[in-house]
Amino acid sequence: MTPANLDLIAGWASLVLTLLIFSYLLGDNFLYRIAVHVLVGAAAGYIAVVAVESVLIPWFNNTTLAEQGTRDDATMTAIRVIGTVPLLFGVLLLLKFSPRLAPIGNLGFAILIGTGTGIALIGALMGTVIPLARDTGESLGDEVLEGVIITAGVITTLLYFQYFAVERGGRVQRPRIFQALGGVGQFFIAIALGALYAGAIITSLTIFGDVISTQWQFILDRIGG
Amino acid sequence: MVISAGLVTVVGLLSDEGSAPALLMTFTIQMIAVVAAIAVLIGVLNLAAVHLGRFAHAEHGWPYSVVMLFVMVAVIVLSILDRAEIWSGELEGEQISLRAFEAVQVSLESALAALLAFFLVFAAYRLMRRRVTVWSLVFSVTLIVVLVGWIPFEELDVLADVRDWLVRVPVSAGMRGLLIGVGLGTVMVGIRVLLGQDRSYKS
Repeated sequence: MTPANLDLIAGWASLVLTLLIFSYLLGDNFLYRIAVHVLVGAAAGYIAVVAVESVLIPWFNNTTLAEQGTRDDATMTAIRVIGTVPLLFGVLLLLKFSPRLAPIGNLGFAILIGTGTGIALIGALMGTVIPLARDTGESLGDEVLEGVIITAGVITTLLYFQYFAVERGGRVQRPRIFQALGGVGQFFIAIALGALYAGAIITSLTIFGDVISTQWQFILDRIGG
Repeated sequence: MVISAGLVTVVGLLSDEGSAPALLMTFTIQMIAVVAAIAVLIGVLNLAAVHLGRFAHAEHGWPYSVVMLFVMVAVIVLSILDRAEIWSGELEGEQISLRAFEAVQVSLESALAALLAFFLVFAAYRLMRRRVTVWSLVFSVTLIVVLVGWIPFEELDVLADVRDWLVRVPVSAGMRGLLIGVGLGTVMVGIRVLLGQDRSYKS
């Protein structure tokens, strides 16, 4: 076996799998389902390998299995104990499978949720809300008309999702001012979604062209074209 | 536990680099990465167990489960062999698992993304055939202008300019509004979880 043979096998595998996926254009069929199960299997195997190779092995090499070197015994014991803590939390996750022991399993889950929540909260605030609000404010300083449209668009889009309601004549409905501003916001949302949809079509068409060109080149190489 | 882990993270992220809270937060995140990796492994094992069960009981679609299990085991075995560096001769130093990944995963994902084009176009066509509302009209006109403006014809320069303006002004405004809304929603949910008001994760 040579690297050239491997390339050939990989090329054929790629061509066959691409055809299996494209068979879905004729309707849901067993060829497409085989391809999807291959995808799930490969993804699951790959993610398991990455989790072990990139996270677990380095962590345990640096903690539980670390070499003593110049460190004293107390430090080494502390490092090894700390190294086993996430393992303990991980094992607790297994208890989620048992309805009786699930509350104990929640402990492992809790630390994941807590840290994830903290990261999401600060990430959303510092990475999305504040920069976008600042950019929107700054856009007023460039082209005035465009800045006004952008600022109005952002505010009305946000108001569209405002469900503050009042009771009027026995019916609960949004205040008229919010209805009107929300309508303007809906206009901006429709435009944004239309452009996003067009972007998705353009992206997938580009990928389609690339896939067809790659596979066609492989076939031409095989038949000597 | 949720509240304390969340507060440690929030305080650490807002602290100066190198300070005690920031170091504690870095350690917590490293630990969480390990717990998350273990969670991923448990998930993969669960997936394998479900498909083994389908195969063992010869349930509907069991041949697909065999395919899935075979591919999963093959990827893992190839990675182990790569790590053990057992390849000799011309294959010495080759990362065959990476080649397999490229041939299988990249091909399948590219083909699925390419297939999406057909369904997106078909869905847009169906939308236009349904009852026309102001919003579906705005959506469709924007879609057509952006698509046609993308075509690099000199005669369509005007449409390209319209598309550029659309993307720069109203689309940017709508997207910013949506993203700020999502961000504010995330902040609200985060605060509710950290205050112990939202405990849906316990179910």
